[in-house]
Amino acid sequence: MTHLADRAAPDGWLSRLSKIRYRGRRIDWQAYFFILPFALIFIVITLLPIFFGIYISFNEWGIVGDPEWVGLDNFREAMKDDWIPKVWGNTFQMAALVVPGTVIVALLMALWINREQWLSGPIRTAFFAPHVVAITVTAIIWIWIFEKETGLLNVALYGVGIPKQGWLTTSKWVIQSISLVTIWQAVGFHMVILLAGLKEIPAELGEAAVIDGASAWQAFWRITLPLLTPAMGLVITLEIISAFRIFGQVYLMTGGGPGGHSATIVSYIYHEGFVRFRLGFAAALSLLLFLTILLFTLLRARLVREHSN
Amino acid sequence: MSNLSLSTLYNQTSLRFIRTLIIWLPGAVVALLWLFPLYWMLNTSVKPDRLIMAGVDLFPTEITWEHYRTVVADTPVIRWFINSIVTSVCVVAGSLVLGSLTGFALARMHFPGRTVIFWLLISSLMIPPEMSIVPLFIGVLRLEVQDSFISLIIPPLASVFPVYLYRQFFLSFPRELEDAAAIDGCSRLGTFMRVALPLARPATLAGAILIFTSNWNSFLWPLLVAFKTEWKTLPVGMAFYTRLDIQGTSTQSGYGEAMAAVAIVALPTLIFFLILQRYFIEGVTQVGIKG
Repeated sequence: MTHLADRAAPDGWLSRLSKIRYRGRRIDWQAYFFILPFALIFIVITLLPIFFGIYISFNEWGIVGDPEWVGLDNFREAMKDDWIPKVWGNTFQMAALVVPGTVIVALLMALWINREQWLSGPIRTAFFAPHVVAITVTAIIWIWIFEKETGLLNVALYGVGIPKQGWLTTSKWVIQSISLVTIWQAVGFHMVILLAGLKEIPAELGEAAVIDGASAWQAFWRITLPLLTPAMGLVITLEIISAFRIFGQVYLMTGGGPGGHSATIVSYIYHEGFVRFRLGFAAALSLLLFLTILLFTLLRARLVREHSN
Repeated sequence: MSNLSLSTLYNQTSLRFIRTLIIWLPGAVVALLWLFPLYWMLNTSVKPDRLIMAGVDLFPTEITWEHYRTVVADTPVIRWFINSIVTSVCVVAGSLVLGSLTGFALARMHFPGRTVIFWLLISSLMIPPEMSIVPLFIGVLRLEVQDSFISLIIPPLASVFPVYLYRQFFLSFPRELEDAAAIDGCSRLGTFMRVALPLARPATLAGAILIFTSNWNSFLWPLLVAFKTEWKTLPVGMAFYTRLDIQGTSTQSGYGEAMAAVAIVALPTLIFFLILQRYFIEGVTQVGIKG
């Protein structure tokens, strides 16, 4: 059956053009006009800057004066810089708390709401609400909750006999505190994705397994979780990317302190690039960040593939 | 006899009620805890300083709007609000136009390069935006468009999300409708404008809401391109209130104002969310499953 767009066109170069076929069907030339506006913006704002960024990372590039080609110097410096292991270590520690923390809480809540009972609507709302507020809002609310003397958390803990802690001001707690805030904000979003994944799984499957003598726990491990793999994969990938990019919380809540104990990769990029205006060095760090994220997401994809085989 | 069955019925009902309670209580408690920080923000923002310092009380016994007045007097909040609104509305409008056109072409039109372009867009999602931030910042300085709507509005328009959202939607769009439109003499653009776009209302709404929220809340980019105070957006401007107490010195005065300040940033998106949450959830779901 021929498609209606294939109707005969009058002769001329236009009609010859319209007769060109691609994979058996006439080409919709107008499509290129549909795509053009976005394509231009995408090329100028996303594609070219990526390549330009790689070029910049081989230069010493300040805010005034001419850039100077320095080859691999920025990367060599990054290897020697004392801050690099520190900010990378902090970021890994946060990712190690935030990724499993968010995914597990989101999964538990999704499983629980999926039972479709009377409170599921309001509870979903409660979990999603922190996701719609700005990072400034989150950060400042939690600065107040974490406050040393009259902050809610210390007052509550003091009430049950635990001494007051400087949650954001001591190296002992700062990473955990920032991770907690990050999880608080992220859970709702991932819960909704997982909930959508759960809704795709027919309830009868689990019930049948339980009738066949499987415990609810076995039914979850053997049936629900494997069928949820695509949604879980998406959630974990998104979380890995966002955990490596933690910035706003740190910038606003601690400024990287105390003593750099909460400085992350992106807050260091910000500091080097936009406070000290060492743009070449910052571009080199961004490239390293990208490679790290790429490595971890590929690793994750590989683990899932091996797991499902 | 009837007495017995009634009491059995009663026992069963109460048993069911208790079971429901056992299942739902922990979740409800966790949900309340989750919401509590937002409640605490509102609670502190309307409490007089004296009560804030006096200690924790869950329900304010006295309500004052003093902190909100102070924030409005101390900061150019109206200007920041306008910056945020104009930026977010323009980004939403622009993204929807660009995204629907591109998404329609990628889903419904036949042309060489379609698959390649789609995969190029999808794989660009793997690249952290930080990669392009330094070059874009240099571009902004060279063009001298810092402190302007140009630098606030144009970069977010490159987001792939609306393209993806519309493509997914148009993929499920019945071919017959298109054919009918073609018989009626509609061009491709006519089909798009008169048939496809009106039917894509759910995608448009979900997209509008999610794009608006993410731009309203956007932080790093507006922080970089606003050098002058009057070009800050609301979240960047209100970051001023973090200065209060990060050194651990305990001066509780000022937290009322800080909470009023962040409430001003939070309330538009929170209210928006409470009214339109169906679309928020739908938008996220769309991206989730059909991905």
